[in-house]
Amino acid sequence: MAVAEEFLTTGMEIVIATRDKTCGFEGFADFDAFQILTETRLISCKGSVGNFIIQAIKNNKLIKLSVGGIIIAEEDQRTSNFLLYGLNASSNVITLSQMKKVLGDSSFNKNILSKIKKVVFLTGFGKESMPVIAKEVMLSSLVLQKDFNLQTYILTKNLKVAGDGLESLYRETKKAGTIYIKFTDAVPDIHQKEGEHIRIEFFDEITSKNFRLSPDMTVVDETIVPSRYTTDFAKIFHIERDVNGFVQADNVHRYSVLTNRKGIMVAGPSRDILADDDQKVDAENAALAVTGHASGETETKAEKAQVSEGECIRCLTCYRLCPYHAITLNTQVKVEPNACERCGICAAHCPRKAVRITDLEPCAITDLITIDTDMLSSKTFMPFIVAFCCRRSAAQARDLAICMGHRLPQGLKVVEVPCSGAVSYDHVFAALDNNADGVMVLTCHKGNCHSEYGNIYAEQTVEYVQERFSRIGFEKERLLIKTLASNMETEFSQIVNRFEETIVKLGPSRLKKN
Amino acid sequence: MKDKSVLIIGGGVAGLCASVELANLGVHVELVEKTNFLGGHAIGYACKAINDTCVKCGACMVEEKLQSAVNHPDVKILTGSQVKSIFKNGRFSAGIRQQPWYIDPQKCTNCGLCLDRCPADGAVLQGFSKNNIPFYAISDEKCLYFKDKSCSICGDECPEKAIDLDRDALEYSIKADAVLVAIGFKPFNPKDKPYGYGVFKNVVTGLELERMIKRVGGVKKPNDNKIPTKIAFIQCVGSRDAKLNHLWCSKICCGSALRMARLIKERQPETEITFFYMDVQTFGKDFEQFYKDVQKEVQMIRAIPGDIYEMDDQRLKVNYVDNHSHNTLEEVFDLVALSIGITPCEDVQSMVGLLGIASDKFGFLETINDRVSVSKNGVFSAGAVRGPKNISDTIADAGSAVWKIFKYLSFK
Repeated sequence: MAVAEEFLTTGMEIVIATRDKTCGFEGFADFDAFQILTETRLISCKGSVGNFIIQAIKNNKLIKLSVGGIIIAEEDQRTSNFLLYGLNASSNVITLSQMKKVLGDSSFNKNILSKIKKVVFLTGFGKESMPVIAKEVMLSSLVLQKDFNLQTYILTKNLKVAGDGLESLYRETKKAGTIYIKFTDAVPDIHQKEGEHIRIEFFDEITSKNFRLSPDMTVVDETIVPSRYTTDFAKIFHIERDVNGFVQADNVHRYSVLTNRKGIMVAGPSRDILADDDQKVDAENAALAVTGHASGETETKAEKAQVSEGECIRCLTCYRLCPYHAITLNTQVKVEPNACERCGICAAHCPRKAVRITDLEPCAITDLITIDTDMLSSKTFMPFIVAFCCRRSAAQARDLAICMGHRLPQGLKVVEVPCSGAVSYDHVFAALDNNADGVMVLTCHKGNCHSEYGNIYAEQTVEYVQERFSRIGFEKERLLIKTLASNMETEFSQIVNRFEETIVKLGPSRLKKN
Repeated sequence: MKDKSVLIIGGGVAGLCASVELANLGVHVELVEKTNFLGGHAIGYACKAINDTCVKCGACMVEEKLQSAVNHPDVKILTGSQVKSIFKNGRFSAGIRQQPWYIDPQKCTNCGLCLDRCPADGAVLQGFSKNNIPFYAISDEKCLYFKDKSCSICGDECPEKAIDLDRDALEYSIKADAVLVAIGFKPFNPKDKPYGYGVFKNVVTGLELERMIKRVGGVKKPNDNKIPTKIAFIQCVGSRDAKLNHLWCSKICCGSALRMARLIKERQPETEITFFYMDVQTFGKDFEQFYKDVQKEVQMIRAIPGDIYEMDDQRLKVNYVDNHSHNTLEEVFDLVALSIGITPCEDVQSMVGLLGIASDKFGFLETINDRVSVSKNGVFSAGAVRGPKNISDTIADAGSAVWKIFKYLSFK
């Protein structure tokens, strides 16, 4: 809803699609720029930023939509935590959402709340809570204390106050009379018998005494979870998900509403557990991202990957590996230039070498690897080290190391690659062929690769070559992979200097020519 | 948007992100930063990846945003500069004063000789980002030349003749269609807390520990440069503190401290770590797992220590009330890190005066309607100037401000 509102004044044409019968957007129907599709199920999405073709089913009919950008923005979905507390729902054991509803409905609440005196909130046991939930617990308890003169208790482990205004709210509830009981190691014993009050027994850490509570009403907290459509979304749009199943990879490069697909954004509860204010912020960021793509200001002009038709055998390696879903399959395998981010993974892994990116071909890179003639003629062995460094991480760390005055090996040659996933067997062998005594692949930390899995592919490449080295009796220690971040200049110099020591011990490479 | 221009005050995470986003929309940006270095406090944060895996602290994103801003043709950056006056007559017209460029950015090659040779502690400052040119700066306050002209070693020895300590300050007038206030926060100064900060050598702030890890790749005791065997983190120093009327959680400290703790355990496994806290706050999408793991490696004590004494050997005796026995216990540590909170930026009041905006009861810039940032007649705000924010929240907040500015400029 908030996302749609942001577009009201932009003059952009907007399609809102939802599976629900109503969507709350009916008010927008008067705007010509808005097309609302209720009870619509998405089936597929093809194309790339600026030109997506979406297929959907509405009223048993197939419809086709052509859009420039896509925003996934569902409402939040919750599961109640009865099980975590060993409780069953009953008239006096309710969820946080139910309590909010009771408080919101004036006719209803008078009936229920006039009969009770004590309310217990249970939050953050078994599963850590979140500021979003803590806020609702505290707000509900405040209203019960102030407006209904009830005694409220909040039982929790870690009170989550890392949200705007929550510490103040916590103080306010305490002042209003809410009693907080915090647990560190132990948890309360909760007994529920039909037709009886809930009995909660616990040892209080502050007073070192045993207590028993028999509340008239117990409110259990909830966990905010990904919607049941997230699996579908991830499949239809080829989007990476996080550990919890939200449709956005847990990757700093996706801050704040981006996905691995250019032109596809995810805002609000579809991507994370967010406070209302942050959802609004997401809506604005999504609107901004779409506007940015529409204006095309951020588009880079560099040449993208190209598939050579004659050599391609349609093995689909590129299609499987492309983290940006930039490969399309029709009569030919093609690269969508708008979606391609030039990471080079496809080119490095194509078994037929049918995918090429200018400047990244092993022959182009080989040209960069030239040994200093002084080094060859030097009497003492000075290892020639080739380090393939990710442009976003290790190459930055190298520059910073130089700036900070770290000593780096004299024979270090850094070859910048757009992503370590672009490093192929050919690159490693080209380096050795060009007199390298040792080869390093310096990549991003796991979960920090802009291309999602580029660092994992690099690791696989290196492990494979190392294994081959072992088999043919070549020192596998001459090839090393390490992870680094752009701001790790100290670690960069430690890693390369240690590697130099290793190579000095091994002596010159037997593949060296001179 | 080609003919529009925005003045951004503050070159930290929020200011840098907003610059890039606005410039990408074709808006011209004038970015004014008070200190000599871009990136705010966050540019000094260490990468806290463990087990070759990113922990999503966001520190590396600061460098990336900084680089994008510096290299964007539509972003003009003035470091060492302050807004002295601002008027609105249709457009904004701002008077900027820029500290003298003692080090000529065109000539400096970042060789670092000035820092090596300088006899006065803290007079030559070193940056954190290679994209921040020049990488060094000279402090007016600490430099002996500005005290009594007794030293000009840096200028004399600079191989590039890049240093001239007699340069004058510059004044600029900037025209803009909107102003974005992104002046960030002030880290809490813990000197008045009973922890001996500034007196005991081995009591440091969390921020200093972040920088130490970044600079030396690990943790060493400031008194003797040796690896500490026992480290304590004390949380909520200057946050959640009713006595100070700091009724807010600073949001970033649990994540920073516990991530550092795990990193230290990985790199210096012999170091024991204790974490004193009130409530552990949730951070990161995999917090549930992270929290389980960290409890295995770190001693978690739910108490905030009362005070710290230094022993003869410069080790630190930390007193706290044990929750189980209710006795005051003592534990000795080699190093204590105070997780200092986020407090309002000292320049909020001058912004309030210059721009006719308001601060809230705690001294942060006011938020209107609970969520909409200040946007009175073309004045906007982003980042921790309105209250504590971590790096990812700040990036999001900057995007939100840019969208508001974009809409404002579209209808102006």
